[in-house]
Amino acid sequence: MSELKHLKEHWKDIFSCMGCGDCGYAIRPAVERYLVCPVKEARGDQGFEISFSRGRMNVLKSILEGKIPLSKELAEWVYECSECGNCTEVCHMSQNENIALPTSKWIDHIKVWEALRKDLIDAGFAPLDKHSNLIDYMENQDMKNPYGEAKAKRFEWITEFPEIKDTGELMFFGGCTMPLRQVETLKSMMKILISSGKEIAMSKEEWCCGSIALRIGNEQALTDLIKHNIEIFKDKGAKVLFTACAGCYRTWKKDYPELLGEQLPFEVKHITEILIDLINKNEIPFKSEEAEKISVTYHDPCHLGRHMDFYDIPREVLSKIPGIELIEMKRNRKSAWCCGAGGGVKSQFPELAIEISKERIKEAIETNAHILTTSCPFCIGNLKDAYDELDSEIKEKIQILDLIDLIASKI
Amino acid sequence: MSEVYQKLEKIVSEKYISNDIYVRHAYSRNVDIVLQGVPDMVIRPKDAQEISEILKVANEENIPVIPRGGGDCEFGGSKPINNEGIVLDLKRMDNILNLDEENLIVTVEAGISWAKLNEYLCHYGLYTGCMGPGSGMTASIGGGISHQSVGGGGCAKYGSCTNQLVSLEVVLPTGEIIETGSQANKFSKFPFNRFGNGPDLSGLFCGDNGIFGVKTKISLKVFPKPEFADYKTFLLPRKSAEAAAQIMMEIRRKGIDVYDTMFITDVVVELGSKQGFFPLWEHIKKKKGMLFYTIEANSEAELKENVKILDDIILSKKSEYLGSEISDGNIAKWHYTEQGHWQFYHNLWGMFPSMQPLSAECFCPIHMFPQVVRDVDQWDIEHNEDMQKIFNITKIRPISGSGPIPLVDGNNVEVTAGFLSFWKYYEGELYEIIHETNIRLWKSLIKLLVKYGLQYYMMGEFMSRLMVEIGAYSEEYYNFMKSIKQVLDPKMILSRGKYNFWEGEKS
Repeated sequence: MSELKHLKEHWKDIFSCMGCGDCGYAIRPAVERYLVCPVKEARGDQGFEISFSRGRMNVLKSILEGKIPLSKELAEWVYECSECGNCTEVCHMSQNENIALPTSKWIDHIKVWEALRKDLIDAGFAPLDKHSNLIDYMENQDMKNPYGEAKAKRFEWITEFPEIKDTGELMFFGGCTMPLRQVETLKSMMKILISSGKEIAMSKEEWCCGSIALRIGNEQALTDLIKHNIEIFKDKGAKVLFTACAGCYRTWKKDYPELLGEQLPFEVKHITEILIDLINKNEIPFKSEEAEKISVTYHDPCHLGRHMDFYDIPREVLSKIPGIELIEMKRNRKSAWCCGAGGGVKSQFPELAIEISKERIKEAIETNAHILTTSCPFCIGNLKDAYDELDSEIKEKIQILDLIDLIASKI
Repeated sequence: MSEVYQKLEKIVSEKYISNDIYVRHAYSRNVDIVLQGVPDMVIRPKDAQEISEILKVANEENIPVIPRGGGDCEFGGSKPINNEGIVLDLKRMDNILNLDEENLIVTVEAGISWAKLNEYLCHYGLYTGCMGPGSGMTASIGGGISHQSVGGGGCAKYGSCTNQLVSLEVVLPTGEIIETGSQANKFSKFPFNRFGNGPDLSGLFCGDNGIFGVKTKISLKVFPKPEFADYKTFLLPRKSAEAAAQIMMEIRRKGIDVYDTMFITDVVVELGSKQGFFPLWEHIKKKKGMLFYTIEANSEAELKENVKILDDIILSKKSEYLGSEISDGNIAKWHYTEQGHWQFYHNLWGMFPSMQPLSAECFCPIHMFPQVVRDVDQWDIEHNEDMQKIFNITKIRPISGSGPIPLVDGNNVEVTAGFLSFWKYYEGELYEIIHETNIRLWKSLIKLLVKYGLQYYMMGEFMSRLMVEIGAYSEEYYNFMKSIKQVLDPKMILSRGKYNFWEGEKS
């Protein structure tokens, strides 16, 4: 039997769960809580309780009690979780700051799932096949990205923008998804920054941030990577590092300092923080307001929202774009429904990820908004994949657009 | 794969049955963290017909079956007690079948939660009145009926979950499907009344803790939610339990149809504040018991009049009004307007890792509860030696006392009295000592409370066995209950172990 090193560190989390089940079933309209677990709901009436937090916690109790072992079969269940953190919200929140719940002192579900994943890896039952490929690509000296693309490809888009410097105080971390899959959005970003007169710098030596490895539970894959990424930006004189990817943002801002046990030598910001600054200084030359407003609904990426408590700035950005009206979805902010892509689900269980995204698109359509926007390329990618599978009459009702592209279309 | 498994798989199809070791462990605990047994398989049936066929196979093969709704029983109500049997997960059956707006009756599948049903009803300006148990966001309607549950709000006005029952569809342990209430008459086109057509056999299944049948379809009365409401919280004087009891009795005597009245004991206020659970009461210097009420009305004038009467009653007992906002200390506002009623009891869960309530949830006449609360305090002092044993291992002393005490319909309250202790103290090799001490203490406390004549309602297998073991039932009553069980379930297939009816192998 595995040593369960990581799970044992979290025994307090696991044995603080009393199994009330609200992490799977909570509905509380008074505080806009409409269900919790996207995986459980996507599994529909075939979802046994192991598909959500309570069932998994019960399994972990039995594992810690030595009744059942880790196994490959368990890994197949465990990696279905998108680590959206919605279960934690329900478990911790009385939804009123004046009443606190005891579980909030002890249980951090995402840390528990990641500890389990680490133990599964240590015991040789994970990573699963697709995840294994991602890690291999990420560690490959000629790639350094989980998409298996040549290292140089992620920087091809830069050739169009001689304005991008090699060194500077404000540096952009491109990450992998946008440069390799959504390059048009990066071009939109540059359109906004150039038109605002904002100078940025980049390093062509950046590697994947390592988010996917962390979420899968393979911390070892990050040993050299973190130091490398920090050093190159530090050497280039960065005072502020910003990224347009919610996953990269969480990894840089939260995981790196936690893993290193020290603060980074520069500040980490999300693109929307840069944009709101430009908007507030009237530096983005928006077109004059059109007569008819376009209604937009905003999807909170889990890595930005629940993981980083980052809800207001993207909304402030949207509220300040001329001609835009923001309509909230039924489940937003802390109760937001996950797109289904996170935690390694998109790569290992793509159909499940798409099923979850369809539910989110349906919810966006219910608002009657014309555009579903968000600020995470991973969410955008999955939402668009789900969108492609929808009937054309549904597609006519809404468009999916990155917040950056939305702003660029208004310049 | 066994022949039995294949037989059952044919009934529900492969998607809805599992003997996967992890799935089985996922269903091996309730709202407690104790592993007593692991089922052989878990089945998620879609309707009464499938359950009937499953039970017939279970009878043929002598396999115990444990029905499970939300899995929120604190006393082992829906988990196996041995390594055997079938857990029937009824959560797949969560549809609303009909809302009869004319007769104000809703018919649902038994696995639906109180929260899901009420979310649906609110679009019609309706609610279930009694909002189920405190765990109503997950707990099922079927579970509420099986336990006579209270605690999720509205029980002062509407009583326990079973008060609003109109009719049931039940699969008997041997597989026959019956309907009760008005539906006992096969010509009845829709459920409209519980009583008549002979004895109230719906009552046989109310609070049966799942031993007499599997509830599959439930018709409940629903009520228009009044447009107006007010809610206030008061700090009580010294001897707060006595003051709270006097207030509750006075409310009943004056005939005020209060929606909720709840006494929050000194120990909950003090301990909860110390642990940082109640920032809303941080500003209160002398932490004492609290009392809150919620009153609904159909007009502003009616509301005003009733609020005045209630305030006069409460303030005459030297109570202190805390203010209208939640931040002022008005927990009643959170309870009612933010549906905090479904989270109120969560304050007992996860206080310390592996700590859980070893309590008894019972109905008690209003005038008796101050004595019960005092005697539980005294019991704690008398059992200090045992408490100390647990402290020596865990470094945290078990906490005795009574949780929140809500007014139930009639002149009763619900008392949740017991102690918080450690069940499984992981890494603690001295677990057996804790376990043995816990059981001894729990039995002793149950004995104490039973002698008041208090009525337990959520019993599960644990409390139901304790009641029998300490001789709480009269012999005649116990034999009567057992003979009904023997007639309905000769092989003791359903919820085997509860009430010690099963004379086969002991767990």
